Amino acid sequence: MGFDAIKTHGRQPFGLADLTRYPLFAPDFLDFLSRVMPAHRHAELVFSIIVTARKPAAAAEAPGAP
Amino acid sequence: MPHFGDDEARGLIRETYGQVRSTNAAVAEALYSAEELAALPRETVELALGVGHPVRHAALRPGEVVIDLGCGAGIDTILAARQVGPSGRVVGLDMTPEMVARARRNAAAAGHANVEIREGLIEDLGLPDASVDVVISNGVLNLSTRKSRVLAESFRVLRAGGRIVIADLVLDEALPEDVLKSPAALAG
Repeated sequence: MGFDAIKTHGRQPFGLADLTRYPLFAPDFLDFLSRVMPAHRHAELVFSIIVTARKPAAAAEAPGAP
Repeated sequence: MPHFGDDEARGLIRETYGQVRSTNAAVAEALYSAEELAALPRETVELALGVGHPVRHAALRPGEVVIDLGCGAGIDTILAARQVGPSGRVVGLDMTPEMVARARRNAAAAGHANVEIREGLIEDLGLPDASVDVVISNGVLNLSTRKSRVLAESFRVLRAGGRIVIADLVLDEALPEDVLKSPAALAG
């Protein structure tokens, strides 16, 4: 790909309780998740992260560029 | 093997985000400072659906050009517009017409003339090569069925030395098959 200076910041667990804040998820879907996900993962379904990276200063800006 | 094709996934996502309504600021209050939220249009605060605060990590400078991939109702777009100032420019891009309308309304209400909201796909940014200083995105890359394409497009539009800041969700363990097949899980 070509990005450099790739860093990950602020990895945070994201669980069922966090999903309840989002209007995207209906109660029946949250019930479904609580049933199908193992109990030990309810507090850590996924992790939220922030990734930063940079396009190298010397990167060619178009195919064929010198 | 993917459970949803490109068009099916996009249709489900457009439907979910087009219909979403909120009357509270629970997500925004978990991610942004009270000072930041106080000066924003209420609709953009109540429809904050991200998972982090990419603008906080972007180190934006006055005059920079920013693109917000999947801008939704515009909260990060507007916060970025404040930081780059009138000499800068922010493009908010979203594929859901209802969100595009909301973001345009909210950017206008916030008084930012340096914001342009476009309807389009994050896999095809529609900007010239090397025309952007910073790419930001908040909880959107995970929705794409072509994540590598999104990153390649971001690389293309960035100027040499430009930055990308992505807030998103990652997994340590695979999700159960029933979840992977769920349209609600995909669109959320």
